[in-house]
Amino acid sequence: MLPSFFGILLARITRKTLRLMGKGATTLPGKLAIKVSPDVISKVAKDKTIITVTGTNGKTTTSHMISEMLTSLGYEVVNNISGANLASGIATTLICDSSKNKDAIYVLETDEAAFAKIAGSLKPAISVVTNLFRDQLDRYGELTHTRDLIAGGIDKTNATLILNSNDSLVASLGKGRESRSVFFGMDKDSMLTNMSKQNSKTVLEASSDAVYCPTCQVKYEYKSRSFSHLGDFYCPSCGFRSPLDRFSVVYNLDKSPSDEGYPFEIKDNKNNSSEKLNLVIPGTHNLYNTCASVSAVTLLLEKLTVNDSFKKACESSSKVKPAFGRMEKINIDGKKLCILLVKNPAGLDRSLSFVTEASDASSVMFLLNSNIADGKDVSWIWDVDFESKADQLPKDIYVSGERFGDMLLRVTYAGKNIPEENYGDMSKAIDLVSKALSNCEEGKCVYILPNYTSMLKLRELLVNKYNIKDFWEK
Amino acid sequence: MDNNMNNYELNIGHFYPDLLNLYGDRGNVLALYRRASLRGIKVNIKSISIGDELNPDEIDLCFIGGGQDNEQNILKNDFVNVKGPIIKKMIEDNKVFLCICGGYQMLGKYYLEHDGSKLECLGALDLYTVGADIRFINDTVYEYEGKKVVGFENHSGRTYLEKDKNPDLKPFMKVIKGHGNNGDDGEEGAVYKNTFCTYSHGSFLPKNPFITDMLISKALKNKYGEDFVLPELSSSVEDFAREKALKYLEI
Repeated sequence: MLPSFFGILLARITRKTLRLMGKGATTLPGKLAIKVSPDVISKVAKDKTIITVTGTNGKTTTSHMISEMLTSLGYEVVNNISGANLASGIATTLICDSSKNKDAIYVLETDEAAFAKIAGSLKPAISVVTNLFRDQLDRYGELTHTRDLIAGGIDKTNATLILNSNDSLVASLGKGRESRSVFFGMDKDSMLTNMSKQNSKTVLEASSDAVYCPTCQVKYEYKSRSFSHLGDFYCPSCGFRSPLDRFSVVYNLDKSPSDEGYPFEIKDNKNNSSEKLNLVIPGTHNLYNTCASVSAVTLLLEKLTVNDSFKKACESSSKVKPAFGRMEKINIDGKKLCILLVKNPAGLDRSLSFVTEASDASSVMFLLNSNIADGKDVSWIWDVDFESKADQLPKDIYVSGERFGDMLLRVTYAGKNIPEENYGDMSKAIDLVSKALSNCEEGKCVYILPNYTSMLKLRELLVNKYNIKDFWEK
Repeated sequence: MDNNMNNYELNIGHFYPDLLNLYGDRGNVLALYRRASLRGIKVNIKSISIGDELNPDEIDLCFIGGGQDNEQNILKNDFVNVKGPIIKKMIEDNKVFLCICGGYQMLGKYYLEHDGSKLECLGALDLYTVGADIRFINDTVYEYEGKKVVGFENHSGRTYLEKDKNPDLKPFMKVIKGHGNNGDDGEEGAVYKNTFCTYSHGSFLPKNPFITDMLISKALKNKYGEDFVLPELSSSVEDFAREKALKYLEI
């Protein structure tokens, strides 16, 4: 073990060398640095203002939102890119991208298991936990285990915790840590009013997570829900319930959150104030992500003793632009292409809902791979309730990816007949996109739902075919 | 589509769907639902969870999936002590069961944990499971009655059948690719009377429609008599998906 100075030097040399070779070098420099100097992260994280964002879904979107909001408020922001959210990527960011500006804010998307390992070294000022859904269980193991990992990480910090009050597993992280926990979620009255507007007729309910209280082993009861296991839950045995929010989303489903500019409000219940917003990145789940971001930015501004923190945070959230693969719409000859990355059942469920509600949907395309980064197991597509949404999907449906046979069967079992010319393996993917675009009316949109490695491949194909230049980069 | 089946009804008992719902196991219920209802059979899916009554006369086909350890602990008492005696009798009475992974293990005698502690299970079948360090996580190909069956296994338990104690207990399938019951004997799953157990997720039934049909057929023969014949139904999309999976696995 060498002093951290050597690790830092090694990382910087590695970054320079790799960049000369045209590589991104977003993880290797940090990996080497940790190898020679295991305490390097705590050295480079010292005296930096850090916000971590963790949770199974919405990490990338939420940290992206926070970064853009802080930037628009005039702060210098350093962040890691999506996919570099393990210790190696975070060390790389802190060493190689660190700013000379002492007031820079570091917004770090952090993998759940990595958080457990490095939270004590990072000593973040603020830690956001978005939610906990089943996510490639073959790689990450059980959800309660993931929750315990995060709890272990939290206890090595004094961070202010920003926790989703509607997710029982995340909300339970506030137990015993009340003085530093700040909750966000859907306004409980809004959820109750909107429940009747949601269509929930199905053959078989989706596989749900975390519906039992882990302490009492008794099933939670819900006064209201937004989606999946998120809602106003309470345990009839021990009384643990969805905590009172400081920040809550007041919404109305008479309009669709799948449409850009969807109007809603965020309330700051502590100061009894409320701000009207328009949803910049559509989707019901992005109401949560927006609220989490507003909470984090408000809390940070308060720590920096800025006046009107909440109002400023809300205003800055209107300046956010979508990140690649997360609801960004690309224009191709007057038609739109929108990629919705889906990595797990919750993500697919939300994206399906999104497409069924979108007023501009012309067609939908599914891509499924099963490489190590995706999880080798494709079973998860059966955990999703396709059946209740199938009727409202566009008629024109395409299926591709290395495991297109599995996805084809899934969509067929939901009651959709896919003609032979609409599916094929990855070698057909780009032709299928062309076909979908040619069948698409001007102003309408082709929605593409790939998982991780099929998205990487697809964007490479799109760049070649449509000469779109690096549209996913910052 | 055959509509002669309008007077027939299939009642599926879905055990603990709120707790045993790992790795797409609900896809098995969807497969049973689809291939029965496409034939015009009326299908009812009944959820049977903790505290729910279990009436064997109301169920023709039982499905028990796998769960996370935490979830399986929650239902253990209800499963072993409350519903256990009824389930045992149903199995002996030739009721059709499909049990996957955790559901399979829980029908056995016990689960011997890695640390030496012994978890008593239902004991409906003469088999036991021993926990191990290395988890089997991989795609699988098995053989059932000369046909290739595809799936995905994800288990650390090694299961052993006590065939000498019960000559009616047999392995369900033969391992072509993957590990199966224990990685040693080339056997996968267990069959006893009309109870079929496997480690195969995937989901198991959708890509293996001949097994779906076999289970539906057995359940309805039980109910309507041995003369009952399940009408033919195309399985071209299912077969296509299985072929593609085999090709992906280079089998």
